[in-house]
Amino acid sequence: MILNHFQTMVIFALAVSAAFAFLSKNEMNERIRYAVWAFLAFLVVALGLGWLMYPFSH
Amino acid sequence: MAQTQKIAINPALALVAAAAGWLVPGLGHALLRRWAKAIVYFCAVAILALVGLWMRGNVFSSNAADAFDMLGFLADIGNGIFYFLAGTINPAGADVSKAYGDYGTRLFATAGVLNLLCVLEVLQIGLGSKEEGPAAVPGS
Repeated sequence: MILNHFQTMVIFALAVSAAFAFLSKNEMNERIRYAVWAFLAFLVVALGLGWLMYPFSH
Repeated sequence: MAQTQKIAINPALALVAAAAGWLVPGLGHALLRRWAKAIVYFCAVAILALVGLWMRGNVFSSNAADAFDMLGFLADIGNGIFYFLAGTINPAGADVSKAYGDYGTRLFATAGVLNLLCVLEVLQIGLGSKEEGPAAVPGS
């Protein structure tokens, strides 16, 4: 299986945010909102940290 | 305000469900009739574990050389059946000489820790210490 790093991170974020939503929330609306929020937070933080570290790679 | 309910306390069932949930992710919740949680947890753990193994991540064994290896083993053993079938799922074995395999190691460990969290929740539900809203109550 060949996945690039971004695809791997998306799979991680999807699985973990869905599981966290069901672990921490009871109502389905709350779960969906939490899962979407956590998924986007994973992506934004990872991309942000990636760009912050970009200058150090040169 | 959401109405909360508790299930009848049955320590034996809670322990059996926890053991089942460890061996097969989501099975503990299924035994407690939490169908939605069972499906979501199984899918989440299975996807992370399978992708981790297919990426040729390292699977730590019980004869750990140091504390970090032992931590890795404790995380990996949380995968239950995926840990024991790791050699079958990925016969090529681990290859952490590239970053790709290293990411696989992290995904597999994440799956194990996630499943351990689910096992703890099964215990909480089974022992009646976790209140759940109407959406999570069986039959609602």
